Parts: sequence; structure tokens; C-alpha cells
Amino acid sequence: MAYLTPFTYRKGESMLHLLDVRCKFFIICLLSMSMLSAHFLACCFYGLILFFFFKNSGLKMLSTLNHIKYFILLLFFIFAARALIVKGDILFSFYGLSITGQGLKEGILVSFKFFLVMITGVVFSSTTKPSCVKNAVQWFLKPVPFIPEKRVAIMISMALSFIPVILNQAHDISDARKARCADLQKNPVKKIIRLVFPLLKKTFLSADNIVLAMESRCYSDDRTGPEFIPSGREIYFLAASVILSSGLAWL
Amino acid sequence: MKKIIEISAVSHTFDDGYVGIKNISLSIFKGEFIIIAGKNGSGKTTFLRHLNGLLKPDSGCLTVNGCDVKTNLIQTRKTIGMVFQDADTQIVGDTVFDEVAFGLENLKFNRAKINEKVTSVLKNLNLFHLKDRAPFTLSGGEKRRLAIAGVLVMDPQVIVFDEPFSNLDYPGTIQVLATIIDLNRSDHTIIIATHDVETVIYDATRIIIMEEGLIKEDGAPADIVRLLESCGIKEPCSSKFGLGIQPWLT
Repeated sequence: MAYLTPFTYRKGESMLHLLDVRCKFFIICLLSMSMLSAHFLACCFYGLILFFFFKNSGLKMLSTLNHIKYFILLLFFIFAARALIVKGDILFSFYGLSITGQGLKEGILVSFKFFLVMITGVVFSSTTKPSCVKNAVQWFLKPVPFIPEKRVAIMISMALSFIPVILNQAHDISDARKARCADLQKNPVKKIIRLVFPLLKKTFLSADNIVLAMESRCYSDDRTGPEFIPSGREIYFLAASVILSSGLAWL
Repeated sequence: MKKIIEISAVSHTFDDGYVGIKNISLSIFKGEFIIIAGKNGSGKTTFLRHLNGLLKPDSGCLTVNGCDVKTNLIQTRKTIGMVFQDADTQIVGDTVFDEVAFGLENLKFNRAKINEKVTSVLKNLNLFHLKDRAPFTLSGGEKRRLAIAGVLVMDPQVIVFDEPFSNLDYPGTIQVLATIIDLNRSDHTIIIATHDVETVIYDATRIIIMEEGLIKEDGAPADIVRLLESCGIKEPCSSKFGLGIQPWLT
């Protein structure tokens, strides 16, 4: 049995589960862009709304934080880099490095924004089937000339579907290596190389097999189109997101 | 019995010079339950992939319902469904329902018809309660049955299985075997490639033994069973102990 991650779609009947994927896609793009120029208080306000939908979607905060712990570590590095690089009033210095008040503020703000964008992504992916994401991409790309939207859509869908399979394979390879005392190897580059090569080999073999399996079921670009089932609340969500993103951008 | 597949002197050599199959000739009839047995590398998978048009013969001719496979690929693939050895790399949908719908979408069925047929197949294979689950979270037996459902929904006459019981635990093997037997009883022609014949030999009507790309034996299970070990295939225990061929599924 494979492991569920916070990014895995989970069946549900929440407001976000039932919302038309095109609407969700538009909202997530709009809000992520507006976050770029948002102030701390505006981000806090957005955080509260996000927290409501997070709980409403049936996600668990502790489990999610545990799964994104490496991302949180990355945010810490971003925070530290900002705190050290941004010039301003020096709060304290050590070994020639100075931490400024402005740097601290900016570090917190940037890390918080990234964190909110990440959680927005978690909420989106756990309430949206990858096939619906594919359908939305196909719908948005349809008017764009010279882009084979159906092919792009199926490639996205397969990439999303195969992320868990590849992660499981990486997990298996890592376990197999640990079982043979690979932990004794301290060189991180060697560790990564010994994980990546078998993983790539397995992934390419899986890709070959998937091509054959698709071919055997008559795959072609000319397929039945996607089906969208609006919940009827899309217009309210769109209006609210436009107001919210305006607020984030200008307040 | 109606002849479905006719294979005449089919050979295939891979780009690296490795000979996959050599001069294979046989006919497959409606309702048969055929085991293709042989050691690893004997050409079983290469042979099966020719049936579905995934590999093209270098020489010889393969017809399905009288039509040449080379020139009627879509019709061939609708007639002959293929279930691969590794279900994980056969499954492309992100939910059980979408996975089963994949083949019908390729055939451009309308959405209402797709929903109707997928629902019916999922119910038949007792997978309907899992329809919204991500396929990679299913057990081995459920994944294999899902792979069968993905093929069955396209209404094939023949279903080809490549090592259907590999990596399955006992309950998973029972589930898959019961499904295969039901399919055969509902008039589907079954072709199974395996090196472990014990599980299916009781239900089979014919065994073909392959060795180094050639057909070494072809006949009824009762006639072939004692020859299995000389071809590197394990003879079923019941036959070894003089009890004949006994059902694996009790």
C-alpha cells in the first residue's frame, strides 16, 4: 500500500471539493500573484481565510506540517538569508555577520508568504483530482494557437499521477540501501547519486511500460473531451477572490 | 468453435539482434483458456505483445477476426485487451473511475455512455466502492482487478494476461484468479503467460510451452502436464503425487 501525502487528492464533499476546477485554478493564480505585494496584516487575514478552508477540506494541520517539514526548513534558510542580507538598523552582530530589524521583518514576511502559497497549493491539490487539473489546463489552453492542448493536458495528468509512484520507488530504493548500511556513508553527494541512478532507471522503465499500456488501450490525442460539473457557487467564489486579491495587493 | 486469432510463421528479432520469437504458427478459438508457459526469456511476453499489435512481426502474418493486425490496429486493440505484468505502470488514471474510463475516452465514447459502462464494469468486478480512490493506494489484488476493469470496459473478445499473479499475496491471487475464471465463463477467450502454471492449469483448456522463442509443446493440459518439468516449468504438486490436475481455487 502506498503512502498518502498532503498533496494527494482525497475524496470529500467540502465547498472546495465541489467547486468547478476552472474557478479554483483561476482563484489560486489570482491569489498567489496578489500575495507578492501583500503586507503582513493582509497576509494574516488571508491566512485566517485559508485556515478555514483548510479545516473545511478535512486536512490535518500537524500531519501536513510534518509532511512539508523540509519545505519549512527551506523557509527558515530564506528567513535567515533575508535577515542577514537586508540592510538596516543592526540589532546584533556576530563573526562579522549582522542581523537587521528590517531584515528580520522582511524575512518573516517573505517566509510567511511562501508558507501561505504552499498551504494554498496543499488545499488545492488535496481537493482537486489530477484529472480535473488536466481538464482545466486543457480548457485554458484551448484558445491558444499552436499548442496541442490535449497532449499537454495528458502529460500534466500523467506527471501528477506518477509523482506518488516515483516517490514510493524512491522510498523503496532508500529503504533497500538503508538495509545494507548505506547510512554509514556520510558523503551527501555519493548518497544522492546512489539514490538517483536506480530511481532514474526505474522511472524510465516505468515510462516505457506506460507508453505500451496506453497504446494497448488505443490512446490518441483525439479523445472524449473533459466534463466540468459546476456547483453553482463559482460566481460567489470568483467575486470574493477578486475582492480579496485586490485587498491583498493594495492594502 | 469460431477462430479469432490466426498466426502464421511469425518471427520477431529486436534491434540488438536478440531473437524474441521464431516462426510461430497457431490458431486461437473463441472461449479457449490458454496458458503460455515457459522460462524467463522464452519469448512469452514478446509473443503476447504481437497479439495486441504492440510489436510488429518481422515476417509472417497475424490476423484477428480475419483482419491483418498491422493494418487494423484500433480494431485489434478493441478485440484483444492486454493486462500487463506490473499494474502500477499500466494505470494512468488518478482515480479508479478515471482509470477505467481511459480506454473509452480514447475510443471517443460520449460522456454518458462512458459513465454507464464504467459503472457497470466496476460493479461487476466489485470495485465500485473504490471508484474515487487513487489507484496507487489500492492493494495488489485490487490494482490487478482495476487493470482488468480498464481492459474489460472496452468489450474485448480476448483478454491477454502477462504474469497476472506476480507479486500478489494469497488473497490477491484468489481475487484475480476468480475474476479470470468468471471472464472465461462469460465467453471471453483468456490467454495467460506464466511460468507458474499450478494456479490456472485446472481451468485451462490448452497449454502452449515456449522455449527460446519457439513453440515446444501445444496441447491439452492433461497431455502436457508431465512434460512441464523437462521444459523448466514446475509441475503442479497434485500431478507429481499422481492425483492428476486438481483445482487451485477450492
